[in-house]
Amino acid sequence: MTADILSCNFFELFDIPVSYEIDIDLIQQRYRELQKVVHPDRFVNASDKERRISMQQTSWINEALNTLRQPVDRAIYLLKLKNVDLNLENETTMDAEFLMEQMEMREALSSISSKEDPISELDRFSAQIKSKMQSLIKGFAAAYENDQLDEAKEWIRKMQFMQKARKEVDELSAKIEDELF
Amino acid sequence: MALLQISEPGQTTAPHQHRLAVGIDLGTTNSLVASVRSGEAQTLPDSHGRHILPSVVRYAEDNIEVGDAAVEHAVVDPSNTIVSVKRLMGRAASDLKSLGKSSPYIFATSESMVPKIQTRSGDVSAVEVSAEILKTLKNRAVDTLGDELVGAVITVPAYFDDAQRQATKDAARLAGLNVLRLLNEPTAAAVAYGLDSGQEGIIAIYDLGGGTFDISILRLRKGVFEVLSTGGDSALGGDDFDHAIADWILQQSGYNQEPSSSLVRLLMKEARAAKEQLAAVDVVSISIEADNFSWQGSLSASQMRELIEPMIKKTIMACRRSLRDADIAVEDVLEVVMVGGSTRTLAVREMVGEFFQRDPLVSIDPDKVVAIGAALQADVLAGNKPDNAMLLLDVIPLSLGIETMGGLVEKIISRNTPIPVAKAQDFTTYKDGQTAMAVHVVQGERELVDDCRSLARFELRGFPPHVAGAARIRVTYQVDADGLLTVSAREQNSGVEASVDVKPSYGLTDTEIETMLRDSMDHATDDMRMRMLREQQVEAERVIEALDAALQSDGKELLSVQEQDTIAQAREQLVNAKAGDDTESIKSAIKQLESACADYVARRMNTNIRNAMQGHTVDEYAGNDQE
Repeated sequence: MTADILSCNFFELFDIPVSYEIDIDLIQQRYRELQKVVHPDRFVNASDKERRISMQQTSWINEALNTLRQPVDRAIYLLKLKNVDLNLENETTMDAEFLMEQMEMREALSSISSKEDPISELDRFSAQIKSKMQSLIKGFAAAYENDQLDEAKEWIRKMQFMQKARKEVDELSAKIEDELF
Repeated sequence: MALLQISEPGQTTAPHQHRLAVGIDLGTTNSLVASVRSGEAQTLPDSHGRHILPSVVRYAEDNIEVGDAAVEHAVVDPSNTIVSVKRLMGRAASDLKSLGKSSPYIFATSESMVPKIQTRSGDVSAVEVSAEILKTLKNRAVDTLGDELVGAVITVPAYFDDAQRQATKDAARLAGLNVLRLLNEPTAAAVAYGLDSGQEGIIAIYDLGGGTFDISILRLRKGVFEVLSTGGDSALGGDDFDHAIADWILQQSGYNQEPSSSLVRLLMKEARAAKEQLAAVDVVSISIEADNFSWQGSLSASQMRELIEPMIKKTIMACRRSLRDADIAVEDVLEVVMVGGSTRTLAVREMVGEFFQRDPLVSIDPDKVVAIGAALQADVLAGNKPDNAMLLLDVIPLSLGIETMGGLVEKIISRNTPIPVAKAQDFTTYKDGQTAMAVHVVQGERELVDDCRSLARFELRGFPPHVAGAARIRVTYQVDADGLLTVSAREQNSGVEASVDVKPSYGLTDTEIETMLRDSMDHATDDMRMRMLREQQVEAERVIEALDAALQSDGKELLSVQEQDTIAQAREQLVNAKAGDDTESIKSAIKQLESACADYVARRMNTNIRNAMQGHTVDEYAGNDQE
C-alpha cells in the first residue's frame, strides 16, 4: 500500500503485458482514466502537498505515455527493463548498405528546396521515411520477442537514423513554409 | 465512477454552496467575462448591457478609463490610451518591433527587461495595463453575481510562451483574482462546442483574434479534451488586416509624410470599419477627413482579399504544421471550429474551409465562445460539478531548452509534450576546479540560442571542485498545468547539494506584486483586514470539511490510532482559531493541520491512483456503449 506508485514500470502502470506490440488505443484509454484521477485540475482547491503529489503523478503518467507511444523510445525502454546497456551515442550501425541508403537520402533531401514544388516533394519523402520506419519497427519487434537482444540493439540504432532523417524533413518543411510566406 | 471513492476537495462542498467562479477571455482587442448561472454559461454584460469590453485603457487626468470610454479617446489622446496591450505581454524592451512602425506609445527608458509605457499617470507595464482590464471585468462579475469570486480561469493563446503566460498570471494576481487555471483559448472554444454537441473525434480549432493566431488539434473522447498539437503566431491577427488596409488607403491617397499617431488611429478605425462591412457587402466606400488629410474611395471584397491573403496563407501553413506534429491527415479532421472576431472575414472562412475540405463551425458567436468555454471549466474547477468527468489535457506549445557550449540549444522538453511534465538532464563541468555553472533557459524551436527566446539565467554556485567532466549537475525542468516553468539545478556527485529554483524573469517578482497590491489597497485598509480574516475563515472551513470527509471514507484504514489523535488535535486547534479574529493564527493553524496530515495525504493519493489502475476493467464495460 505504501509502496511508491511512481516506482512501478510503464507497462504495469497501464496494466498491459510487457511487449513491443502495444494496443495504443487501450493505453490511451487507461491514460485518460488515470488522468481523470490524478490531474492537477482535480486538486485546484487542495493543499500544497496534494497539489505537489498530483503534479508528480501526472508528470510521470505523461512520461509513460510519451515513452510507450514513440516506437524508438519504447524500444529503448524495453531494453532498459532488461538491463541492456545502450551506449547509443558511441555506437553506430556498421551495416554498409543501410549507411549508403542513408547517405543517398540525405543527398536527395539537400537538393529538395530547389525543386519546383518542394512541399509536395517533402510530403512524399515523409511517406517514404514512414514506411521504412515501419519495417525497422517490425525488425526490432521480431528480434525482441525472440530475445535476440544484440540484434535488437542494432535495429534501434537504425531506427534512430531514420528518426533523425524524419526530424530533418520536418525542420526543412518548416523552413520552406517560412520562406514561402 | 463508483470506484473513484476518494473525495476531491470540491466534492465536499454542499450543493447549496455554489462557488462563484468566472471565465475571462483577455483578448487583444476585446475582453469578456462569463459565468455559469442556473446551469448555463453566459457572458456577463455591464450596466449598459454591453457584453464586450474593448481591451483599451486610458490614463486620464484624474482616473483610469477602461473599455468604451477609453476607445472614445483613443484618437484624441493616443499616447495615454493603450490598445492591444496583449501584444506587449511578456515582451522585452528589445522585441518591441512586433508592434510595427505605427505604435503611438512613448516607451520609457528603463534598465529593467520589462518595457514601460509613458503615460500622464506615470510609467506603466503591460502587466499593469492588463490588470486594469481584469479588474473591470472582476468588478462587473462581482456586481452581477452578488458575491466574491472563488477564482477565475483566464484564457491565453495556446502559442503563448512561458514569459507571456507568466505575465498574464501576474496581471490576474495584481487584479486580485485567484487564478484557478490558465487555459488555452482553443481548448476553451472546444469545451464550449464539445459539451453542446457531444461529438467524439479529431477537432481543429482555428482561432484568429485581433493580434494572435492559434491553431490547435484536439482529440475529444469521453469528456477528455486532449490537445495533440498546437501552433500559431503570437503576433498575427485581424489588427494586421486593418494595418494592411490602412497602409493601402495611405498609399492610394498619395500622402507622403510620416502620418501622425492620431492619423494612424483614424486610418485604423476606418480600415476596421471597412473590413467589418465587407463581411456582408461586396464593396464599401470610404471617406476620411482629417487635418491635412482627405481621401474618398472604395474598397471591394476582392481587393481586400488580395491585401490580406498573404497573412491568411501564413495561418494555413501553421495549420499544416500542426497537423503534421499531431500526425493527423486532413481527412481525419472531424470538425473545424472558428474562434475570434477575425474569422468573420469571409476570405478567412473560405480559405480555411478549402484547406480542411469542410465548412467550418461558426454557430457560437466567435467573440464569446472562448469566454463561455472558460466559464464552464471554471465551474468544474471551483468544485461545482463533482460528477463531471470533463478533463482538459494540454501540451507545451514551444520547446524548452538550455544553452550549451557554442551558443547552441539542447532541447530538454520538446513542443507538444503533454503537461504537467518534468524532465531532468545531467551536465558536467569543462574546467578543473570549477565550482559554479551558468544556466541559461531558452524557449523555441531553433538551434541557436540567439534565435530562441531567453527566459531566465541563473548560476549554480558553491559546489565542490572536481576535475573537468567529473561533476554531475542535474538540471530539472518542471512545467505545471498552467504551462509555467520552474527550473532547478543541483550538483549531486559529492553528496553536497546546491540547488536553486528559478522562475523566468519577465513577469513581476512576488514582492513587486505584493507592494503593488498593498499600494492599491492603502485606502481601504480596514475593509481589507476584514476581508482577509473572512477569507482565512472560509479557507479553514474548507480544510476542515475536506479532512472530515476524507477521514470518514478511509481514516481508520490508513491511519494508526496515534496518527488519528495527532490529526484530531491539530483539527481542534484550527476549529478554535477559526472562532477567533486573528487572521495569522488561523493561517498558522491551517499550516499545522496540513503538516499533520502530510503522510495521510500521500497515502490517500497513492491509494487513489492504485484504485484507478486496478479499476479500469469496470470502467471499460461501463463505457462500451459509447464506443
